[in-house]
Amino acid sequence: MLDHILSILIFLPALAAVLGFVVHKDSAKAYGIAVSIIEFVVSLYLWFAFDPNVSGMQFMESLPIVPAFGVNYLLGIDGISLFIIIMASLFTMLGIASLGETKNMKNMVITLLFLQMTMVGVFAALDAILFYVFWELSLVPMLYIIGAWGGPLRIYASVKFFLYTFTGSLIMLVGMLFMAYLYYQATGHWSFSILEWYRLILPESYQLWLFAAFFIGFAIKVPMFPFHTWLPYAHGQAPTIGSVILAAVLLKMGTYAFIRFSLPMFPDAATFFMFPIAVLAIIMIIYTAMVAYAQEDIKQVVAYSSVSHMGVIVLGTFALNVEGITGSVFLMIGHGIVSGALFLLVGVIYDRRHTKLMSEFGGLASVMPRYATIFGIMMMASVGLPLLINFVGEFLSLLGFYQQSHITTLLAGTAIIVGAVYMLSAFKKAFFGEVTNEKNRNLPDINKRELVALIPLTIIAIWLGIYPKPILTPINNSVESIVALMHEKAITPEAKSRIPALEGKIIMQKSEAEVR
Amino acid sequence: MEIGLTHYLVLATILFSIGLIGVMRRKNLLMLFFATEILLNAVNIGFAAISHYYNDLTGQMFAFFIIAVAASEVAVGLGLLIVWHKRTGNINLDTMSSMRG
Amino acid sequence: MELYLYIALFAPLVGSLFAGLFGASPKTLVTGVVNSSLLFASFVASSILLVHVLNGETVHVEMMTWMATGNLYIPFGFVVDQVSVTMMMVVTVVSTIVHIYSIGYMDHDKGFNRFFSYLSAFVFSMMVLVMSDNFAGLFIGWEGVGLCSWLLIGFWYHKETATWAANEAFIMNRIADLGMLIGIFLIYWNTGTLQYDKAFAIMPTLDMTTLIYIGIFLFVGAMGKSAQFPLHTWLADAMEGPTPVSALIHAATMVTAGVYLVVRANPLYHLVPEIGLFIASLGAFVAMFAASMALVNRDMKRIIAYSTLSQLGYMFAAAGLGAYWVALFHLMAHAFFKALLFLGAGNVMHAMNDELDPFKMGGLRKKMVGTFIMMTLASIALAGVFPLAGFFSKDTILEVGFVEHHYVIYTVLLLTAGLTAFYSFRLVALIFHGEERYKLFGFHPHEAYKFMLFAMSPLAILAVIAGSFKTTYFDMVTKLLPETEYHIHSHVVEWVMILGTQAFVIAAIWYAYKKYINFKGEDKEFEKRLCYKILINQYYIPYFYEEYISKPYKELSDILWRKVDLKIVDATVDLIAMTIYKTGENTRTMQNGNLSSMLRWMVAGIVILLSLAVAFGLAVRYSDEITSVLSGLGV
Repeated sequence: MLDHILSILIFLPALAAVLGFVVHKDSAKAYGIAVSIIEFVVSLYLWFAFDPNVSGMQFMESLPIVPAFGVNYLLGIDGISLFIIIMASLFTMLGIASLGETKNMKNMVITLLFLQMTMVGVFAALDAILFYVFWELSLVPMLYIIGAWGGPLRIYASVKFFLYTFTGSLIMLVGMLFMAYLYYQATGHWSFSILEWYRLILPESYQLWLFAAFFIGFAIKVPMFPFHTWLPYAHGQAPTIGSVILAAVLLKMGTYAFIRFSLPMFPDAATFFMFPIAVLAIIMIIYTAMVAYAQEDIKQVVAYSSVSHMGVIVLGTFALNVEGITGSVFLMIGHGIVSGALFLLVGVIYDRRHTKLMSEFGGLASVMPRYATIFGIMMMASVGLPLLINFVGEFLSLLGFYQQSHITTLLAGTAIIVGAVYMLSAFKKAFFGEVTNEKNRNLPDINKRELVALIPLTIIAIWLGIYPKPILTPINNSVESIVALMHEKAITPEAKSRIPALEGKIIMQKSEAEVR
Repeated sequence: MEIGLTHYLVLATILFSIGLIGVMRRKNLLMLFFATEILLNAVNIGFAAISHYYNDLTGQMFAFFIIAVAASEVAVGLGLLIVWHKRTGNINLDTMSSMRG
Repeated sequence: MELYLYIALFAPLVGSLFAGLFGASPKTLVTGVVNSSLLFASFVASSILLVHVLNGETVHVEMMTWMATGNLYIPFGFVVDQVSVTMMMVVTVVSTIVHIYSIGYMDHDKGFNRFFSYLSAFVFSMMVLVMSDNFAGLFIGWEGVGLCSWLLIGFWYHKETATWAANEAFIMNRIADLGMLIGIFLIYWNTGTLQYDKAFAIMPTLDMTTLIYIGIFLFVGAMGKSAQFPLHTWLADAMEGPTPVSALIHAATMVTAGVYLVVRANPLYHLVPEIGLFIASLGAFVAMFAASMALVNRDMKRIIAYSTLSQLGYMFAAAGLGAYWVALFHLMAHAFFKALLFLGAGNVMHAMNDELDPFKMGGLRKKMVGTFIMMTLASIALAGVFPLAGFFSKDTILEVGFVEHHYVIYTVLLLTAGLTAFYSFRLVALIFHGEERYKLFGFHPHEAYKFMLFAMSPLAILAVIAGSFKTTYFDMVTKLLPETEYHIHSHVVEWVMILGTQAFVIAAIWYAYKKYINFKGEDKEFEKRLCYKILINQYYIPYFYEEYISKPYKELSDILWRKVDLKIVDATVDLIAMTIYKTGENTRTMQNGNLSSMLRWMVAGIVILLSLAVAFGLAVRYSDEITSVLSGLGV
């Protein structure tokens, strides 16, 4: 089983989605829960079987698809992708379990299972074409979720989401093809394997162009300023489950791809673009935090806060040292847990009041104390309070970037201030004060179905805040090998000095071929 | 003055231009067919002239092919034209817009 | 000893979780009792550790790893040494008393259980803050107390002012925390570790600029938590919280965390005396600045809050001049009498149905004898009259200023001592003496529960006798802190100074009594003066923050969203999409189905393709010529 565990993880939900068509519509939710629990257990088993001391790829599978062009069905995971895969299966499970009254429940479950396949596929793929296929396929179920179950502007939002990200990925595809062509020129055979690409040393000018092509695709997905405007619409119109998966997992595809593609393949370009990207990240952090402060809709606050936090992740990634990249990967997990939970929480109140305007609320803390408590914990996690999950990632990301630039980090560090401003003021508007709106007077507190999803997330947020080691160590080992590879491959003196040398660490792939 | 290749090619070009203008300007389907025939025959003249010039019979063979194709095209086309005329009573191009995109 | 360390640290956490279980249910007395006993257990464990430390030994444990990546290694490590045990004693003594007191104070509050949960959580965070052996652990406690402070200031969350004050406190502290975070980053990248002992051991080898930056950024963190100018406005507003909270958090413990940080980082500040002098000057300035605002204020709790601020200034003045043990000693003494003062104020508030204006009270000493005695004692101690605690600690700070030849600081602090005496006794006189003005407003005051007074009594005793610990304390704490004794060489000068200070303070007390003991009506003349207006409006600083920071931030946010994000960034994206869409919409007329026009398009296409082919063919044929012409042009 271990030899094909990744294929199982990918195709179990796909198969289940196909079989889902014959399931009776009343038992669709139970069916979805059952499948996603199996999937989640398998992904936990993956963690159990994972050797944290190996820094390279594990559970590799390979099957030629187009041998002439070196396109393979190549899978494998390391400490970076492992936890995002687990998080994807966790959120699918909790998401299906927390689904309330939904029209066409069966379609929703099938869509979610299909989405799960694409998510696991993206993070497990080690072949660029395979990665691209899953990357694009993941748009389809999300398009459907927003378009079919969304709010009044759902068609506009879903088309915008689709076209925007699709345009970016086409440019990325061009980059991939060119990269493969360069590899062919250097070695004489075609390959789309990411691991093979790692071995290629490119001249700086090529790196810059390729980096830019990949960057567009990833940046739109993250989404980085100024490509972020699809996100508020998508979140604003998407049903709760859509927002949860979008924020928790789909956005991570962009930042994950930075670490998987951009850094190890183009270390010199990454160094070259470090400061422009850091500036974008700072704009993301401060500007979107201010925009979040101006929102009237509580879901938009959380949506913009996502962008702000993704800014910190991007900054940590481009610190190009072990502390920063490890922090940014950890923050991906942390942000996934926290923003997913916050969207679920917004969904709870939306189900009861059918509005998301904060002016409609007020004084909810006295009506729904348990809800307010969980919301408060998650809000504090989002603000980055120590001993809660986000702090570890934020601290390490900022700490990492501090080595590269002091002023930049100081500016980016304002994240902890502006983050507190919009979150606390939103919390105050919704939860504090007297109950002024009669409709809120008798709202039922959070119920069991909702707690099923929220309690595990709360426990994770606290547990990983206090004891992040179980997932920090594997991430750290994988990141060390990537940083060592980058240092080894770097050709410009600037990059050599910016990227720390790690003595005595195993370099994942020794570089061999070189494009002249 | 001897009639050389240039004269034939100039004739072909003039005929082709006449045909092209006919294709662009004519609204009557029948006239359009005439214009098309002129176009094809302009090309035929070119083929035959160059074939003779190079002493290569391939060009003249091609001209025969074109004559055959043109004949069959006119046969089919005229058939369609008659059917159209029976249905609508005119063969004006502007009325044929069922292929609007 | 490790067991006692863990008991001292985790007993409050257990209490917090226990009370939290009943958080949403109505009042259960058991939470109050259990939490108070757990706090008492923590106090006993701390006392045992104190004895242990007095014997000259310290305890250092490493519980588990928190973060480890790259070269970074941060454990949950705890150390009980001379400095931290002082803080532990202060925290556990005051918090035990405040817990017991709160059983009575929060008696009728429906958030009784929730209150105890938050309060114990605060004590836990504070213990983490003072016991951690590294900067990251300190930061955990630092943010933890910030969170609990936010929860407790906004405890009565239905009140707009309370939640506003809570958010203000949190955000202002966050501004300072950023400074602290940067300081931590600097320490890590320059020393490679965040452990106190290792980092301080490496610091002497670092260059001066780095040390100055570390010193500044760490102190920025301290400024926020200890409410130093210009981040001081939150402290007065924090008085919206329940009074026991003000006693514990905003007087005795949390606000002194900044002083603790400077004392803890004494090897660093020893290396950069310039920063030390800045800290001392700021401290002296804040001492006077805050005392001046306390002079005219009409809110009992705010007066005490400004007094706290002023005393924090004293502590920073001492710490900045290198007299770390003096700062810590004043911190301890201040914790006792200031907590006592706040708890007394709590009794008065209870008696007066939460009325805060001392001008509406008067003559309460007849109704509230116990509270009267204790508040008077606390005020005497605060004023620094011999032989109470405040005399020993505050007088030493003045001596430090004198001996170190910083006469400006000395003078400012001396004047502030007079102001302190004046506003303390203005308050006492207005509340407890004179006519019973409360009758006009229909209040029916009553003394607090007996056990509340009983709970306060240890603080009263400590406020009286804490000064006598000075020598013992000095012997203990100087094992860790610089051993600097401050003796004025000439005995005559020393006596003149002590007696002069005492005379000055007593004169201020006498003047306050004289002015306010027979207080009749409000002095309208005085209230029209400019200086009164400035002081009552707190130098217009809150107004300035509101008008020039909060509101512009809000407006800018709004502009960024409505104008920039929607009208520029998003509109650009939509414009591109619309352009493509419109192009398609316009060109679809090409496909109008009219054979004749389609034929024309076809001809046009042929012409274009042919001309392209000809152009390309020509370009290929004459490429050499083109290149030479272009190079001739210098392209």
